[in-house]
Amino acid sequence: MEELFQQLTNGLAVGAIYALIALGYTMVYGMLRLINFAHGDLFTLGAYLGLTLLAAFALEGKMNGLAVGGALIVMSMGLVALVGYLLERIAYRPLRNSNRLTAVVSALGASIFFSNAIMLAYGARSQVYPGGILPTTAIAFFGVEIPLMRILMFIGAIALMLALYWFIHRTRIGSAIRAVAIDQGAAKLMGINVNSVISLVFLIGPGLGAAGGVMVGLYYGEIRYDMGFSFGLKAFTAAILGGIGNIPGAMLGGLLLGVIEALGAAYISIAWKDAIAFTVLILILIFRPTGLLGERVADKL
Amino acid sequence: MKHLKIGITAIILMLSLTAAAFAGTVRIGLMAPITGAFASEGQDMRKILELMAEELNKAGGINGIQVELVVEDDGSTPRSAATAASRLVAAGVPAVIGTYGSAVTQGSQDIYDEAGIVQIATGSTAIRLTATGKKRFFRTCPRDDEQGRVAAETLRKQGFKKIAILHDNSAYAKGLADEAKQHIGKDAAVIFFDALTPGERDYSAILTKIKGAAPDVILFTGYYPEAGLLLRQMSGMKWSVPMVGGDATNNTDLVKIAGTEAAKGYRFISPPMPSDIDSPMAKIFLVAYTAKYGDMPNSIWSVMAADAFNVLVAAIKARGADSAAIADYLHTSLKDMYCLTGKISFDEKGDRIGDLYRLYEVDEQGKFVLQPR
Repeated sequence: MEELFQQLTNGLAVGAIYALIALGYTMVYGMLRLINFAHGDLFTLGAYLGLTLLAAFALEGKMNGLAVGGALIVMSMGLVALVGYLLERIAYRPLRNSNRLTAVVSALGASIFFSNAIMLAYGARSQVYPGGILPTTAIAFFGVEIPLMRILMFIGAIALMLALYWFIHRTRIGSAIRAVAIDQGAAKLMGINVNSVISLVFLIGPGLGAAGGVMVGLYYGEIRYDMGFSFGLKAFTAAILGGIGNIPGAMLGGLLLGVIEALGAAYISIAWKDAIAFTVLILILIFRPTGLLGERVADKL
Repeated sequence: MKHLKIGITAIILMLSLTAAAFAGTVRIGLMAPITGAFASEGQDMRKILELMAEELNKAGGINGIQVELVVEDDGSTPRSAATAASRLVAAGVPAVIGTYGSAVTQGSQDIYDEAGIVQIATGSTAIRLTATGKKRFFRTCPRDDEQGRVAAETLRKQGFKKIAILHDNSAYAKGLADEAKQHIGKDAAVIFFDALTPGERDYSAILTKIKGAAPDVILFTGYYPEAGLLLRQMSGMKWSVPMVGGDATNNTDLVKIAGTEAAKGYRFISPPMPSDIDSPMAKIFLVAYTAKYGDMPNSIWSVMAADAFNVLVAAIKARGADSAAIADYLHTSLKDMYCLTGKISFDEKGDRIGDLYRLYEVDEQGKFVLQPR
């Protein structure tokens, strides 16, 4: 029982990161029907920029560890959002009216560009966030010790997702985003500036990915130029699991994927963990081809 | 199509003419993972060989002939390795050093073999590579079965009874895990045997499961990034069980990833580092390396590349830059040459002879300390 609970917390912690990255995939897909393959690499970029900022401002030890973490997340989010904006302007906007496959190839190219650029700038070796920034206290729940940072990471990720949900559904700009997702042409006729709405989505998605990157760096310590691939793949899977184009779906899909992985590893086989997760994905897609929450196809985002 | 063929022939002709124009130099190929999953190893190999060639040329080269290094990137995949191998064949090198991954080496073996070029692998420890009877294939690294035997013996000597073995499903790690399991014998039991997925960050689900099995020791046969993360997350769980690793964890980055506190007490078996080799060549090398790069080499595998270079230079010095002569020299005349990783001789299959493995432990400063045998 204790082990089950421990495994559930393990799965939820990883799942929250998947969900945070999945939001970027799902928002862009909902908006442009484009899978932004470069998103995983923007996540990596966020992790690296966090490390650079930490060194540049010599934040370590100057203030409380949590404040350092928060500051890094905010700064890195800002910078990566800017990169995301430029990515859309340079790699996707010129191709918006061309064949959909062309944009996908451009996305793949951008992904290769980013991961190699990171490798050239920072080197191929793993980089490491200095240890001891974050408190290592653990809190006991039902006889299971859970590191405080895991809980905070989980809460942080959920808070960011809820903020996004609120923004999309309760604000005027959010309505504009939803309108563009449903029908670009009609949105334009209603006086919505489609280009700036799309730019906004490319600010938000990569920003959230960067937040995930810094969290991973701070908590796990090791970052590598190619880590965006495995996280990106899992997050993309999560987005499909929940119903791609659907924001609550991405959150649900991420958390679910994390938990399935942890429980699969715990009770079936570690080596088959990914196979189990993907089997569940395929089963769900057989019975619900649009994903778990994907029924509101007409009302993307 | 015809034009293409003519074009390619012309290019090949031009290339061979340029090769002829450089008759005053000996070209030695390096095929290494400059990009891809093993990029850090490959870039270290390039660094170390550039230094070796530079030092050699400063000292007058081989019998007065300058050495030129031709580097090709194998991209850490067998497919790019085949391309890299073809390019090195076209460049007309008599011998190639490389590469790191066993599967990657395998992807290039036939190409070198057909071209009659000597290949000396630096980190490819899979048994099968020397089982096909290639006459001009060698390696400066030991074989997996040897390491599996030493790993099992190490665990037995330290009196561990309940052993958990964790690999990462790569051909190397799985092979080592299987070998070790076979050699563990009757007085100890393998109570857990499974694989993690390399490249992930969170291994807490796996550690929770292993903790449930309550082993005396974990034998991890994978690579250093995962080993570092495992140690770090074990310490985060406040779980302290000894962990022993294989030679793929012999990289100082392990301590950076795990943190000195969590890495303390971690043990691994590996061929010895140059700093633990008592030979004049190793001492001179370390001085030159630290002077140029300001640090010690991170990993043993780049030093294996350096030793491949050393034996090649010895062969060319004795017999000239001809592939057949080099291969013959390495097989028959090279005996116990004292290099950076100890004595080197090759058997008829091209495998390195001699027992090479030592036990290392991480001390409280995060240094790798050679344990007395």
